[in-house]
Amino acid sequence: MTAGRHPEPDVLERFVLGALAPLEMRETARHLLAGCPRCQEITAALWEPADVFEDPETLAAAEVSAEDAAYDAVLDRVFARVAATESQLAEQRAAGLRLYEELMQCPAERRHLLLANCQRFRHRMLCERLIEASYEICFEEPHRAVAVARLAVAAVDRLTAEDCGGEELAGLRVRAWAHLGNACRSCFDLPGAEAAFAVTERLLDEGGIAPVERAKVLSLLASWRTTRQRLGEAQQILDRAAAIYKKLGQWNLFGRTLLQKAMVCRQAGDGQEAMRLLRRALDLIDPQADPLVFLAGRHNLINALYENGRVREAFALLYHTRPLYLQAGNRMNLLKLRWLEGVVAFGLQRNEQAEAALREVRDSFLELGLHYDAALASLDLAGVYVVQGRTADVRRVAEETLQIFQSYNTHREAIAALLVFCAAARLDQAGLDLVREVSTFLKRARNNPDLHFSAPF
Amino acid sequence: MSTLDHPQVESSLEGFLKQVRPRLKAVFTRYRIPAQDTEDILQQALMALVYRREGIRDPEAWLLGTVRNKCLLYWREQRRKLYESVDAVVLEAVAGPVGPDQESSHLRHDLAQALERLPERCRSLLWMRYRQGFDPPELAERLGYSPASIGKVTTRCLAALTRHLFASGICRRKTP
Repeated sequence: MTAGRHPEPDVLERFVLGALAPLEMRETARHLLAGCPRCQEITAALWEPADVFEDPETLAAAEVSAEDAAYDAVLDRVFARVAATESQLAEQRAAGLRLYEELMQCPAERRHLLLANCQRFRHRMLCERLIEASYEICFEEPHRAVAVARLAVAAVDRLTAEDCGGEELAGLRVRAWAHLGNACRSCFDLPGAEAAFAVTERLLDEGGIAPVERAKVLSLLASWRTTRQRLGEAQQILDRAAAIYKKLGQWNLFGRTLLQKAMVCRQAGDGQEAMRLLRRALDLIDPQADPLVFLAGRHNLINALYENGRVREAFALLYHTRPLYLQAGNRMNLLKLRWLEGVVAFGLQRNEQAEAALREVRDSFLELGLHYDAALASLDLAGVYVVQGRTADVRRVAEETLQIFQSYNTHREAIAALLVFCAAARLDQAGLDLVREVSTFLKRARNNPDLHFSAPF
Repeated sequence: MSTLDHPQVESSLEGFLKQVRPRLKAVFTRYRIPAQDTEDILQQALMALVYRREGIRDPEAWLLGTVRNKCLLYWREQRRKLYESVDAVVLEAVAGPVGPDQESSHLRHDLAQALERLPERCRSLLWMRYRQGFDPPELAERLGYSPASIGKVTTRCLAALTRHLFASGICRRKTP
């Protein structure tokens, strides 16, 4: 073919599909670039399908004509293979769980050796279980979660595309690294988290990862950015995750992502946007299917309303949400409810109710050994005393809180903040602004030990 | 949307596949994926669904979304070959043996006109590529992109240029 002769329509079609030999591709491109109107017209009609992002509803309603039966044979073959895989899956999961238990019973120093040398441990479901386990124990036992995530990374490294397919392997690998980063973040190993998330981002850039895996990993990456106070980046990353869930019609996960974004907005000081996102998230999360996530959303919305001075609305929503806290039932949720009742009562100037609730909450946290939360509740209690002019009580609470922190906590900047509060209380100069400033700092510094406290003047 | 609007989910795999079958065919038809190429796309998506089914609330929406995404990736991959051939032809035309002055001038004019219609980011990237001969790693360094992302950015820009060039033509005075 020369640039002057017209290619056949089927050649143009294969050209648009990129299915011609390299030399033919170039010759056809040269012909089209020469400005042949006839071939340009044919090509334009072939060009369109891949460029249109179809509305899911329109697409779902599309009629399939009899000619499309060409796909039937393919669908039959694939459906049969998938059905066969599904029947083996329960067995594979059980095998993965057995391998996990066997691995965890070995001494820690032998686990990596086993993964590296024993063929039995080259198992996709073992990797899945290790990743899940790392996430499950992340908050209670973050150091153990790091060790388990390292095992997951090692286990994934032994898998090949033959074991689970290229895209699945890429997804598993990026998830393993993201969970390692997340576990490091949870135990404040910031260099470790930085290194793991750097690998995660490189793997994301390499591509070949299923959208849903990408979205999950983006959500963990956003948590890391939030910890590092890179809030704008965290919001952008969450937007990408939300777009994926929306495209896949996963409304519950879309709602959870909005919840996460609302938390970032709140940290960034944009209370209005946080409330908007929380309301939208609550519309999307199914309270029957995800009661705890729904409760978390309501809890955050009540907090946001209170922080934005809309105390009466916070009170009304708290009243309607109380049954959900009681249904959830565990002690932590009930303590969170009592804590909110205390701060909302304080906002409504019902100081006696506020004092009773906040004292109860502080004592319970101390009993549970949750000293950081006890300190935060103490500061809320100190606020109640400040507005009542009970300077001796303010001083006592300040001293007690500092003592607790000095005994149990190694967070130097938090102690520095409490020292400032204590010094002001001793001089009867601790006002509500200082209490709020110290409380806000402690909340922010909890996940960010690098944060420095600057004493207000 | 209300949380009560979630569609009824078929619990058995067999029932689910029966339910989703016409819609899968509609997606493949809509994206004009050749029948022989649908097998890999569908198998990957369905296997992923089967492995993760417990964590997926609305499997039908998930499957259709995933298949649609894979169809787009399929096209993107096919189109990359097309863009590469266009890139080669343009490079050849601007860097090939020097023709009569007027011919070279027309060629530069046509290319410049096509580039003018592109977004600024693409314009500067392609200008540096075609007029100054920078290759992708050099473009990444000059324009501040990461080496990992320059390939994607270049492909996007080539896609935009290809559409314009195919619509209007280039070097039409050079060829018979």
